Amino acid sequence: MDFAFLSETFFKLLAGFPLTVNLAVLSLAGGGVLALLLNMARASGWLGARFADFYVFLFRGSPLLIQIFLIYYGLGNFPAVRESFLWPFLREPYWCALLALILNDAAYTAEILRGGFRAVPRGAVEAAEACGMSRLTRLRRITLPVAIRQALPAYSNEVISMFKSTALASTVTLMEVTGIARAEVSATYRAIEIFLCAAVLYLVSTLLITRALRLLETRLSPWLAGNRA
Amino acid sequence: MSGLGVNGMGEPAIALRGIRKRFGDQEVLRGIDLAAHDGDVIALIGASGSGKSTLLRCIPMLEVPQAGEIFAAGERIALRDGQQKLDRAQQAAVQRMRTRLGFVFQSFNLWPHRTVLQNLIEAPVHVQGRPKAECIAEAEALLEKVGLAEKRDAWPAHLSGGQQQRVAIARALALKPRALLFDEPTSALDPELVGEVLKVIRGLAEEGRTMIIVTHEMGFAREVCNKAVFLHQGRIEEEGPPEQVFLDPRSDRARAFVSSHFNRNR
Repeated sequence: MDFAFLSETFFKLLAGFPLTVNLAVLSLAGGGVLALLLNMARASGWLGARFADFYVFLFRGSPLLIQIFLIYYGLGNFPAVRESFLWPFLREPYWCALLALILNDAAYTAEILRGGFRAVPRGAVEAAEACGMSRLTRLRRITLPVAIRQALPAYSNEVISMFKSTALASTVTLMEVTGIARAEVSATYRAIEIFLCAAVLYLVSTLLITRALRLLETRLSPWLAGNRA
Repeated sequence: MSGLGVNGMGEPAIALRGIRKRFGDQEVLRGIDLAAHDGDVIALIGASGSGKSTLLRCIPMLEVPQAGEIFAAGERIALRDGQQKLDRAQQAAVQRMRTRLGFVFQSFNLWPHRTVLQNLIEAPVHVQGRPKAECIAEAEALLEKVGLAEKRDAWPAHLSGGQQQRVAIARALALKPRALLFDEPTSALDPELVGEVLKVIRGLAEEGRTMIIVTHEMGFAREVCNKAVFLHQGRIEEEGPPEQVFLDPRSDRARAFVSSHFNRNR
Protein backbone atom coordinates (compact mmCIF):
# COMPACT_ATOMS: atom_id res chain seq x y z
CA MET A 1 0.00 0.00 0.00
CA ASP A 2 1.18 3.44 -0.98
CA PHE A 3 0.09 5.44 2.02
CA ALA A 4 1.58 8.65 0.75
CA PHE A 5 -0.54 8.39 -2.39
CA LEU A 6 -3.62 7.43 -0.38
CA SER A 7 -3.38 10.41 1.91
CA GLU A 8 -2.63 12.69 -1.00
CA THR A 9 -5.74 11.37 -2.77
CA PHE A 10 -7.78 11.67 0.36
CA PHE A 11 -7.06 15.38 0.66
CA LYS A 12 -7.75 15.90 -3.03
CA LEU A 13 -11.13 14.23 -2.67
CA LEU A 14 -11.84 16.19 0.49
CA ALA A 15 -11.77 19.34 -1.66
CA GLY A 16 -14.95 18.04 -3.30
CA PHE A 17 -16.62 17.28 -0.01
CA PRO A 18 -18.18 20.74 0.52
CA LEU A 19 -19.94 20.45 -2.86
CA THR A 20 -21.20 16.95 -1.98
CA VAL A 21 -22.59 18.25 1.31
CA ASN A 22 -23.98 21.33 -0.39
CA LEU A 23 -25.87 19.21 -2.95
CA ALA A 24 -27.13 16.81 -0.30
CA VAL A 25 -28.32 19.47 2.12
CA LEU A 26 -30.00 21.67 -0.48
CA SER A 27 -31.67 18.77 -2.28
CA LEU A 28 -33.02 17.42 1.00
CA ALA A 29 -34.24 20.86 2.03
CA GLY A 30 -35.87 21.57 -1.33
CA GLY A 31 -37.21 18.04 -1.58
CA GLY A 32 -38.65 18.29 1.91
CA VAL A 33 -40.53 21.50 1.19
CA LEU A 34 -41.81 20.08 -2.10
CA ALA A 35 -42.84 16.86 -0.36
CA LEU A 36 -44.89 18.82 2.17
CA LEU A 37 -46.55 20.75 -0.66
CA LEU A 38 -47.31 17.47 -2.45
CA ASN A 39 -48.95 16.13 0.69
CA MET A 40 -51.00 19.28 1.08
CA ALA A 41 -52.05 18.95 -2.55
CA ARG A 42 -53.01 15.37 -1.80
CA ALA A 43 -55.15 16.51 1.12
CA SER A 44 -56.82 19.24 -0.91
CA GLY A 45 -59.03 16.96 -2.96
CA TRP A 46 -59.30 14.58 -5.88
CA LEU A 47 -57.33 16.64 -8.38
CA GLY A 48 -54.50 17.35 -5.95
CA ALA A 49 -54.30 13.69 -5.00
CA ARG A 50 -54.09 12.59 -8.65
CA PHE A 51 -51.38 15.17 -9.28
CA ALA A 52 -49.36 13.94 -6.30
CA ASP A 53 -49.78 10.34 -7.43
CA PHE A 54 -48.63 11.20 -10.93
CA TYR A 55 -45.67 13.19 -9.66
CA VAL A 56 -44.51 10.33 -7.47
CA PHE A 57 -45.05 7.86 -10.30
CA LEU A 58 -42.94 9.97 -12.64
CA PHE A 59 -40.00 10.75 -10.39
CA ARG A 60 -39.87 7.54 -8.44
CA GLY A 61 -40.44 5.41 -11.51
CA SER A 62 -37.54 6.67 -13.61
CA PRO A 63 -33.81 6.60 -12.84
CA LEU A 64 -32.32 9.68 -11.23
CA LEU A 65 -29.45 9.55 -13.75
CA ILE A 66 -31.90 9.87 -16.63
CA GLN A 67 -33.64 12.75 -14.86
CA ILE A 68 -30.31 14.54 -14.53
CA PHE A 69 -29.52 13.94 -18.21
CA LEU A 70 -32.96 15.06 -19.32
CA ILE A 71 -32.65 18.30 -17.43
CA TYR A 72 -29.02 19.01 -18.28
CA TYR A 73 -28.90 17.88 -21.92
CA GLY A 74 -32.60 17.99 -22.71
CA LEU A 75 -33.99 21.33 -21.54
CA GLY A 76 -31.52 23.36 -23.59
CA ASN A 77 -33.09 22.00 -26.77
CA PHE A 78 -36.20 24.08 -26.20
CA PRO A 79 -35.83 27.67 -27.40
CA ALA A 80 -38.46 28.70 -24.87
CA VAL A 81 -36.21 27.51 -22.08
CA ARG A 82 -33.13 29.12 -23.59
CA GLU A 83 -34.92 32.43 -23.82
CA SER A 84 -36.49 32.33 -20.40
CA PHE A 85 -35.19 34.01 -17.28
CA LEU A 86 -34.33 30.53 -15.99
CA TRP A 87 -31.69 29.90 -18.61
CA PRO A 88 -28.82 31.45 -16.62
CA PHE A 89 -29.58 28.75 -14.07
CA LEU A 90 -30.53 25.85 -16.30
CA ARG A 91 -27.39 26.08 -18.40
CA GLU A 92 -25.26 25.54 -15.27
CA PRO A 93 -24.60 21.89 -14.46
CA TYR A 94 -24.81 22.69 -10.73
CA TRP A 95 -28.39 23.97 -10.91
CA CYS A 96 -29.44 21.16 -13.26
CA ALA A 97 -28.08 18.49 -10.95
CA LEU A 98 -29.58 20.19 -7.90
CA LEU A 99 -32.96 20.52 -9.59
CA ALA A 100 -32.99 16.84 -10.53
CA LEU A 101 -31.97 15.82 -7.02
CA ILE A 102 -34.67 18.00 -5.46
CA LEU A 103 -37.41 16.73 -7.76
CA ASN A 104 -36.38 13.13 -7.21
CA ASP A 105 -36.03 13.47 -3.44
CA ALA A 106 -39.44 15.13 -3.23
CA ALA A 107 -41.11 12.05 -4.71
CA TYR A 108 -39.60 9.68 -2.15
CA THR A 109 -39.99 12.07 0.77
CA ALA A 110 -43.61 12.75 -0.15
CA GLU A 111 -44.33 9.03 0.14
CA ILE A 112 -42.48 8.76 3.46
CA LEU A 113 -44.35 11.78 4.80
CA ARG A 114 -47.64 10.35 3.56
CA GLY A 115 -46.98 7.28 5.67
CA GLY A 116 -46.21 9.57 8.61
CA PHE A 117 -49.46 11.46 8.17
CA ARG A 118 -51.44 8.23 7.96
CA ALA A 119 -49.90 7.09 11.23
CA VAL A 120 -51.09 10.18 13.13
CA PRO A 121 -53.72 8.90 15.57
CA ARG A 122 -57.18 10.03 14.49
CA GLY A 123 -57.98 10.86 18.11
CA ALA A 124 -55.12 13.34 18.38
CA VAL A 125 -56.46 15.23 15.37
CA GLU A 126 -59.98 15.11 16.71
CA ALA A 127 -58.85 16.49 20.07
CA ALA A 128 -57.23 19.38 18.18
CA GLU A 129 -60.44 20.01 16.27
CA ALA A 130 -62.48 19.82 19.45
CA CYS A 131 -60.60 22.69 21.06
CA GLY A 132 -61.10 24.94 18.07
CA MET A 133 -57.76 24.72 16.28
CA SER A 134 -57.81 25.97 12.72
CA ARG A 135 -56.57 23.71 9.93
CA LEU A 136 -53.26 25.52 9.72
CA THR A 137 -52.64 25.49 13.49
CA ARG A 138 -53.55 21.80 13.54
CA LEU A 139 -51.04 21.06 10.79
CA ARG A 140 -48.33 23.16 12.40
CA ARG A 141 -48.82 22.11 16.02
CA ILE A 142 -50.21 18.57 15.91
CA THR A 143 -50.39 16.72 12.60
CA LEU A 144 -47.03 17.62 11.09
CA PRO A 145 -44.96 17.21 14.28
CA VAL A 146 -46.50 13.80 14.94
CA ALA A 147 -46.17 12.77 11.28
CA ILE A 148 -42.50 13.78 11.21
CA ARG A 149 -41.79 11.74 14.31
CA GLN A 150 -43.51 8.73 12.78
CA ALA A 151 -41.69 9.18 9.48
CA LEU A 152 -38.21 9.84 10.84
CA PRO A 153 -36.88 6.25 10.86
CA ALA A 154 -37.89 5.77 7.22
CA TYR A 155 -36.66 9.25 6.34
CA SER A 156 -33.20 8.42 7.69
CA ASN A 157 -32.90 5.98 4.79
CA GLU A 158 -33.81 8.69 2.35
CA VAL A 159 -31.22 11.07 3.78
CA ILE A 160 -28.48 8.49 3.35
CA SER A 161 -29.72 7.56 -0.09
CA MET A 162 -29.71 11.20 -1.21
CA PHE A 163 -26.25 11.77 0.22
CA LYS A 164 -24.91 8.99 -1.96
CA SER A 165 -27.01 10.01 -4.96
CA THR A 166 -25.09 13.27 -5.16
CA ALA A 167 -22.34 11.15 -6.74
CA LEU A 168 -24.42 11.14 -9.93
CA ALA A 169 -23.83 14.89 -10.25
CA SER A 170 -20.34 13.96 -11.40
CA THR A 171 -21.88 12.76 -14.69
CA VAL A 172 -22.65 16.35 -15.61
CA THR A 173 -19.13 17.61 -14.88
CA LEU A 174 -19.61 18.59 -11.25
CA MET A 175 -16.43 18.18 -9.24
CA GLU A 176 -17.82 16.83 -6.01
CA VAL A 177 -16.12 13.85 -4.32
CA THR A 178 -16.93 11.34 -7.06
CA GLY A 179 -16.21 13.82 -9.83
CA ILE A 180 -12.73 14.46 -8.47
CA ALA A 181 -12.22 10.73 -7.99
CA ARG A 182 -13.07 10.02 -11.61
CA ALA A 183 -10.76 12.76 -12.83
CA GLU A 184 -7.94 11.42 -10.65
CA VAL A 185 -8.49 7.90 -11.97
CA SER A 186 -8.24 9.01 -15.59
CA ALA A 187 -5.07 10.90 -14.76
CA THR A 188 -3.37 8.12 -12.78
CA TYR A 189 -5.21 4.86 -13.64
CA ARG A 190 -5.07 3.94 -9.95
CA ALA A 191 -8.76 3.12 -9.73
CA ILE A 192 -8.74 0.92 -6.63
CA GLU A 193 -6.97 3.31 -4.28
CA ILE A 194 -8.86 6.36 -5.45
CA PHE A 195 -12.36 4.86 -5.47
CA LEU A 196 -11.69 3.14 -2.13
CA CYS A 197 -10.75 6.51 -0.71
CA ALA A 198 -13.97 7.98 -2.05
CA ALA A 199 -15.99 5.08 -0.65
CA VAL A 200 -14.44 5.57 2.78
CA LEU A 201 -15.39 9.24 2.68
CA TYR A 202 -19.02 8.34 1.94
CA LEU A 203 -18.98 5.56 4.56
CA VAL A 204 -17.75 7.84 7.33
CA SER A 205 -20.29 10.47 6.35
CA THR A 206 -23.23 8.07 6.37
CA LEU A 207 -22.08 6.72 9.71
CA LEU A 208 -22.20 10.23 11.14
CA ILE A 209 -25.55 10.94 9.49
CA THR A 210 -27.02 7.74 10.93
CA ARG A 211 -25.82 8.64 14.41
CA ALA A 212 -27.12 12.18 14.16
CA LEU A 213 -30.54 11.07 13.00
CA ARG A 214 -30.77 8.43 15.71
CA LEU A 215 -29.98 11.17 18.21
CA LEU A 216 -32.65 13.39 16.67
CA GLU A 217 -35.16 10.55 16.93
CA THR A 218 -34.64 10.17 20.65
CA ARG A 219 -34.63 13.94 21.11
CA LEU A 220 -37.99 14.26 19.36
CA SER A 221 -39.63 11.15 20.83
CA PRO A 222 -38.07 10.77 24.28
CA TRP A 223 -41.01 8.68 25.52
CA LEU A 224 -39.85 5.88 23.23
CA ALA A 225 -36.27 5.97 24.44
CA GLY A 226 -36.81 3.92 27.58
CA ASN A 227 -38.74 1.20 25.79
CA ARG A 228 -36.08 0.54 23.23
CA ALA A 229 -33.24 -0.75 25.30
CA MET B 1 -86.43 31.35 13.62
CA SER B 2 -88.10 31.40 16.98
CA GLY B 3 -85.37 31.87 19.50
CA LEU B 4 -83.53 28.89 20.71
CA GLY B 5 -81.84 29.95 23.85
CA VAL B 6 -84.34 32.52 25.03
CA ASN B 7 -86.64 31.41 27.78
CA GLY B 8 -87.56 32.06 31.36
CA MET B 9 -84.36 30.60 32.75
CA GLY B 10 -82.04 32.82 30.76
CA GLU B 11 -79.86 31.82 27.88
CA PRO B 12 -78.94 28.14 28.13
CA ALA B 13 -75.32 27.04 27.85
CA ILE B 14 -76.33 24.51 25.23
CA ALA B 15 -79.56 24.06 23.33
CA LEU B 16 -80.23 21.64 20.51
CA ARG B 17 -83.28 21.55 18.33
CA GLY B 18 -84.41 19.07 15.73
CA ILE B 19 -81.04 17.37 15.41
CA ARG B 20 -81.04 14.68 12.73
CA LYS B 21 -78.05 12.60 11.74
CA ARG B 22 -77.78 9.83 9.20
CA PHE B 23 -74.82 7.57 8.46
CA GLY B 24 -75.57 6.17 5.03
CA ASP B 25 -78.98 4.54 5.22
CA GLN B 26 -79.02 4.43 8.95
CA GLU B 27 -80.76 7.22 10.77
CA VAL B 28 -78.90 7.59 14.05
CA LEU B 29 -80.62 10.71 15.41
CA ARG B 30 -84.23 11.36 14.52
CA GLY B 31 -84.93 14.85 15.72
CA ILE B 32 -83.53 15.60 19.14
CA ASP B 33 -84.27 18.60 21.32
CA LEU B 34 -82.14 19.13 24.39
CA ALA B 35 -81.16 22.05 26.59
CA ALA B 36 -78.53 22.43 29.28
CA HIS B 37 -78.62 25.50 31.48
CA ASP B 38 -75.67 26.75 33.46
CA GLY B 39 -75.02 24.38 36.33
CA ASP B 40 -76.93 21.49 34.76
CA VAL B 41 -75.38 18.06 34.85
CA ILE B 42 -77.10 15.95 32.25
CA ALA B 43 -76.56 12.21 31.96
CA LEU B 44 -77.15 10.79 28.49
CA ILE B 45 -77.92 7.11 28.80
CA GLY B 46 -79.11 4.39 26.49
CA ALA B 47 -78.07 1.14 24.86
CA SER B 48 -75.12 0.94 22.45
CA GLY B 49 -76.26 2.32 19.13
CA SER B 50 -78.98 4.49 20.63
CA GLY B 51 -77.18 7.57 19.30
CA LYS B 52 -76.02 9.13 22.56
CA SER B 53 -72.35 9.51 21.59
CA THR B 54 -73.31 10.81 18.16
CA LEU B 55 -75.59 13.36 19.79
CA LEU B 56 -72.82 14.54 22.09
CA ARG B 57 -70.39 14.79 19.17
CA CYS B 58 -72.91 16.87 17.23
CA ILE B 59 -72.69 19.66 19.79
CA PRO B 60 -69.13 20.82 18.87
CA MET B 61 -69.82 19.57 15.31
CA LEU B 62 -67.35 16.72 15.43
CA GLU B 63 -70.23 15.13 13.58
CA VAL B 64 -72.17 17.47 11.36
CA PRO B 65 -75.88 16.71 11.56
CA GLN B 66 -78.06 16.72 8.45
CA ALA B 67 -80.61 19.01 10.03
CA GLY B 68 -81.25 20.96 13.16
CA GLU B 69 -80.08 23.92 15.13
CA ILE B 70 -77.28 24.04 17.64
CA PHE B 71 -76.80 26.80 20.13
CA ALA B 72 -73.80 26.41 22.39
CA ALA B 73 -71.60 28.78 24.40
CA GLY B 74 -73.15 31.78 22.72
CA GLU B 75 -72.80 30.60 19.13
CA ARG B 76 -75.68 29.51 16.96
CA ILE B 77 -75.42 27.20 13.98
CA ALA B 78 -78.63 26.53 12.10
CA LEU B 79 -78.34 23.96 9.34
CA ARG B 80 -80.35 24.72 6.26
CA ASP B 81 -82.32 21.97 4.60
CA GLY B 82 -80.18 19.95 2.23
CA GLN B 83 -77.00 21.76 3.26
CA GLN B 84 -74.01 19.53 2.50
CA LYS B 85 -71.13 21.48 4.00
CA LEU B 86 -70.80 24.25 6.54
CA ASP B 87 -70.28 27.64 4.99
CA ARG B 88 -67.49 29.96 6.03
CA ALA B 89 -69.48 31.87 8.64
CA GLN B 90 -70.73 28.63 10.17
CA GLN B 91 -67.20 27.21 10.29
CA ALA B 92 -66.01 30.32 12.07
CA ALA B 93 -68.87 30.02 14.54
CA VAL B 94 -68.04 26.34 15.12
CA GLN B 95 -64.44 27.24 15.82
CA ARG B 96 -65.38 29.95 18.30
CA MET B 97 -67.85 27.62 19.97
CA ARG B 98 -65.25 24.86 20.28
CA THR B 99 -62.85 27.10 22.16
CA ARG B 100 -65.54 27.60 24.80
CA LEU B 101 -66.47 23.93 25.22
CA GLY B 102 -64.39 21.20 26.80
CA PHE B 103 -64.65 17.78 25.21
CA VAL B 104 -63.41 14.62 26.93
CA PHE B 105 -63.05 11.55 24.72
CA GLN B 106 -63.49 7.90 25.54
CA SER B 107 -59.93 7.18 24.40
CA PHE B 108 -58.35 10.29 26.04
CA ASN B 109 -56.73 11.49 22.79
CA LEU B 110 -53.85 13.29 24.42
CA TRP B 111 -51.24 14.65 22.03
CA PRO B 112 -48.44 12.10 22.20
CA HIS B 113 -45.60 14.49 21.32
CA ARG B 114 -46.38 16.91 24.13
CA THR B 115 -45.78 16.50 27.83
CA VAL B 116 -48.67 16.62 30.27
CA LEU B 117 -48.20 20.33 30.91
CA GLN B 118 -47.77 21.08 27.20
CA ASN B 119 -51.02 19.24 26.50
CA LEU B 120 -52.77 21.55 28.93
CA ILE B 121 -51.38 24.84 27.63
CA GLU B 122 -51.47 24.01 23.91
CA ALA B 123 -54.95 25.30 23.14
CA PRO B 124 -55.01 28.18 25.65
CA VAL B 125 -51.76 29.53 24.18
CA HIS B 126 -52.13 28.65 20.49
CA VAL B 127 -55.89 28.90 20.03
CA GLN B 128 -57.07 31.35 22.64
CA GLY B 129 -53.84 33.34 22.39
CA ARG B 130 -53.41 33.86 26.12
CA PRO B 131 -50.04 34.64 27.72
CA LYS B 132 -47.99 31.51 28.23
CA ALA B 133 -46.90 32.22 31.80
CA GLU B 134 -50.48 32.69 32.91
CA CYS B 135 -51.54 29.46 31.16
CA ILE B 136 -48.73 27.51 32.81
CA ALA B 137 -49.76 28.73 36.26
CA GLU B 138 -53.37 27.75 35.60
CA ALA B 139 -52.36 24.40 34.14
CA GLU B 140 -50.34 23.63 37.25
CA ALA B 141 -53.35 24.41 39.42
CA LEU B 142 -55.53 22.17 37.25
CA LEU B 143 -53.05 19.31 37.52
CA GLU B 144 -53.11 19.76 41.27
CA LYS B 145 -56.86 19.54 41.16
CA VAL B 146 -56.92 16.25 39.24
CA GLY B 147 -54.19 14.89 41.51
CA LEU B 148 -51.41 14.79 38.93
CA ALA B 149 -49.18 17.71 39.87
CA GLU B 150 -46.14 15.45 39.98
CA LYS B 151 -46.77 14.25 36.40
CA ARG B 152 -46.30 17.75 35.00
CA ASP B 153 -43.39 16.80 32.76
CA ALA B 154 -44.36 13.20 32.02
CA TRP B 155 -45.23 11.93 28.54
CA PRO B 156 -48.76 10.67 27.93
CA ALA B 157 -47.38 7.29 26.87
CA HIS B 158 -45.95 6.81 30.36
CA LEU B 159 -49.28 7.31 32.16
CA SER B 160 -51.99 4.82 33.05
CA GLY B 161 -55.37 5.12 31.37
CA GLY B 162 -56.90 6.70 34.43
CA GLN B 163 -54.10 9.25 34.64
CA GLN B 164 -54.38 10.03 30.93
CA GLN B 165 -58.09 10.63 31.28
CA ARG B 166 -57.55 12.93 34.25
CA VAL B 167 -55.03 14.88 32.17
CA ALA B 168 -57.58 15.01 29.36
CA ILE B 169 -60.15 16.44 31.77
CA ALA B 170 -57.63 19.03 32.96
CA ARG B 171 -56.87 19.84 29.33
CA ALA B 172 -60.56 20.45 28.68
CA LEU B 173 -60.79 22.64 31.80
CA ALA B 174 -57.79 24.69 30.68
CA LEU B 175 -60.00 26.26 28.01
CA LYS B 176 -62.17 27.71 30.81
CA PRO B 177 -65.16 26.22 29.05
CA ARG B 178 -68.78 27.23 29.46
CA ALA B 179 -69.69 23.54 29.50
CA LEU B 180 -67.94 20.18 29.55
CA LEU B 181 -68.90 17.28 27.31
CA PHE B 182 -67.90 13.76 28.32
CA ASP B 183 -68.10 10.92 25.80
CA GLU B 184 -68.06 7.69 27.83
CA PRO B 185 -65.07 8.90 29.85
CA THR B 186 -64.52 5.62 31.69
CA SER B 187 -65.41 3.04 29.04
CA ALA B 188 -61.82 2.51 27.90
CA LEU B 189 -60.49 2.08 31.43
CA ASP B 190 -59.62 -0.99 33.45
CA PRO B 191 -62.22 -1.41 36.19
CA GLU B 192 -59.81 -0.46 38.97
CA LEU B 193 -59.05 2.87 37.28
CA VAL B 194 -62.67 3.97 36.78
CA GLY B 195 -63.04 5.32 40.32
CA GLU B 196 -60.28 7.94 40.13
CA VAL B 197 -61.82 9.45 36.99
CA LEU B 198 -65.36 9.42 38.33
CA LYS B 199 -64.10 11.12 41.46
CA VAL B 200 -62.72 14.00 39.43
CA ILE B 201 -65.96 14.35 37.45
CA ARG B 202 -67.99 14.24 40.66
CA GLY B 203 -65.84 17.05 42.06
CA LEU B 204 -66.60 19.14 38.96
CA ALA B 205 -70.31 18.53 39.40
CA GLU B 206 -70.07 19.72 42.98
CA GLU B 207 -68.40 22.92 41.78
CA GLY B 208 -71.52 23.58 39.76
CA ARG B 209 -69.99 23.06 36.33
CA THR B 210 -72.27 22.59 33.38
CA MET B 211 -71.78 19.11 31.98
CA ILE B 212 -73.29 16.62 29.60
CA ILE B 213 -72.08 13.11 30.26
CA VAL B 214 -72.58 10.06 28.06
CA THR B 215 -72.02 7.10 30.33
CA HIS B 216 -72.77 3.49 31.11
CA GLU B 217 -72.03 4.03 34.79
CA MET B 218 -75.62 4.13 35.97
CA GLY B 219 -74.96 4.47 39.69
CA PHE B 220 -72.60 7.35 39.05
CA ALA B 221 -74.98 9.02 36.61
CA ARG B 222 -77.82 8.85 39.10
CA GLU B 223 -75.68 10.43 41.80
CA VAL B 224 -74.19 13.37 39.91
CA CYS B 225 -76.82 14.40 37.40
CA ASN B 226 -79.78 16.68 37.93
CA LYS B 227 -81.34 15.53 34.70
CA ALA B 228 -81.19 12.18 32.93
CA VAL B 229 -81.97 11.64 29.29
CA PHE B 230 -82.65 8.15 27.96
CA LEU B 231 -82.14 7.69 24.24
CA HIS B 232 -83.61 4.89 22.23
CA GLN B 233 -83.10 4.46 18.48
CA GLY B 234 -82.22 8.07 17.92
CA ARG B 235 -85.08 9.56 19.90
CA ILE B 236 -85.42 10.81 23.45
CA GLU B 237 -87.56 8.15 25.04
CA GLU B 238 -87.56 9.57 28.53
CA GLU B 239 -86.10 12.55 30.30
CA GLY B 240 -86.47 14.03 33.73
CA PRO B 241 -84.92 14.20 37.16
CA PRO B 242 -82.75 11.21 37.99
CA GLU B 243 -85.19 9.85 40.60
CA GLN B 244 -87.80 9.53 37.90
CA VAL B 245 -85.67 8.18 35.06
CA PHE B 246 -83.66 5.76 37.15
CA LEU B 247 -86.21 4.70 39.77
CA ASP B 248 -89.61 5.15 38.25
CA PRO B 249 -89.37 5.47 34.47
CA ARG B 250 -92.60 5.89 32.60
CA SER B 251 -91.51 4.22 29.39
CA ASP B 252 -91.19 0.44 29.37
CA ARG B 253 -87.97 0.56 27.39
CA ALA B 254 -86.35 2.90 29.89
CA ARG B 255 -87.57 0.69 32.70
CA ALA B 256 -86.09 -2.42 31.08
CA PHE B 257 -82.81 -0.66 30.31
CA VAL B 258 -82.35 0.83 33.76
CA SER B 259 -83.28 -2.32 35.64
CA SER B 260 -80.96 -4.51 33.57
CA HIS B 261 -78.11 -2.09 34.20
CA PHE B 262 -78.65 -1.83 37.91
CA ASN B 263 -78.88 -5.59 38.23
CA ARG B 264 -75.62 -5.93 36.34
CA ASN B 265 -73.77 -3.38 38.41
CA ARG B 266 -74.97 -4.22 41.86
